[in-house]
Amino acid sequence: MRLRVSGQDTGNDYDLRAVTGEAGGIADVNHGELMNAFTEAICTRDLAAMAAARQGITSAMGERGMVDAAAVIAAFNAYPRIADATGIPLEDAKAEATEGMRAELDLDRLDTGPDE
Amino acid sequence: MTSPFANPPVDLRDDLSVALDRAWARLGEPGSWLNGEQRLAVAAEARQAWHCDLCDQRKAALSPYAVMGAHDLSGAVPGAWVEVIHRVVTDSGRLSERWYRQALTDGVVEDELIEIISVAVLTTTVDAFALGIGMAPPALPEALPGEPARVHAPEAKPGPGWAATIAPADAPADFADFYANGSHFFIRRALTLVPAETRRIWDLLNAMYLPDPRVHELDGIERAIDRAQMEFLAARASALLGCYY
Repeated sequence: MRLRVSGQDTGNDYDLRAVTGEAGGIADVNHGELMNAFTEAICTRDLAAMAAARQGITSAMGERGMVDAAAVIAAFNAYPRIADATGIPLEDAKAEATEGMRAELDLDRLDTGPDE
Repeated sequence: MTSPFANPPVDLRDDLSVALDRAWARLGEPGSWLNGEQRLAVAAEARQAWHCDLCDQRKAALSPYAVMGAHDLSGAVPGAWVEVIHRVVTDSGRLSERWYRQALTDGVVEDELIEIISVAVLTTTVDAFALGIGMAPPALPEALPGEPARVHAPEAKPGPGWAATIAPADAPADFADFYANGSHFFIRRALTLVPAETRRIWDLLNAMYLPDPRVHELDGIERAIDRAQMEFLAARASALLGCYY
């Protein structure tokens, strides 16, 4: 997961449980609570929550920060759908590299199997 | 047609604005396997999926196959396409090989299926961005005349997932640049059965995220959020969609 790599680059130790919404680790990321609220609002199409989060991020980071955040969230409304619709597996190297993180987040419990 | 992103409610990066306009205009152009009208019908159905009661019920069920019924339709695409489009939009995290194979059994040509997936995803992506920045989803463009060439990529082979793809080693000369700089991740291969369509959607995604996600921090890349924030947003959005690729 690139969040961990970024933390290694910058000397920050991020709590990866933040990405599953399970921990206070969201606070480790700059304006993490706002980022989380914006992501949840866009992904669930909650317009009222979106407006509030957009205003919050714009106040905290400026309009350009809000636009770039929206762009990344939008892009990650695409990559997962592409991956899941075509059934692409995790590359061996990536699976090996993320073995610890997957155990930390218990992600393998979320494998839906081949024929659900 | 006036560019839908010509007057956004907030300033956009130039490269992002250009990529959005280009992607949206291409939506109404003949594709590789679908004509402009068909592509726009897929886009309209992708939007309709958000208002589908059956999709809501399935999303709430333990298994999507536990709930039977009929989708709420826009009415402009063949029936076999509807299940593809609605599931990609509303419940992508629980798609399965059974779902993929069923589309082929129902008569969708695999190359068509890839283009349908791509157009549905692109529409959902652009709408997500528009709503995020506080504008209404843009009106669909006009369909341009012309028919798709419907030429199968002979280099494509089954795998690494359910879809046939073009492996980097098999890429023809006019497609080799797509895998330049060692960007051989499976996600990049996923839609390569239809090379031109793959280029269309990646042209937008590169501007929204990063052309090369292997860069460490954002040296020389114009972004107003830091790399950790980008990766948190990426991981959180993926988790919300139930994707742990």
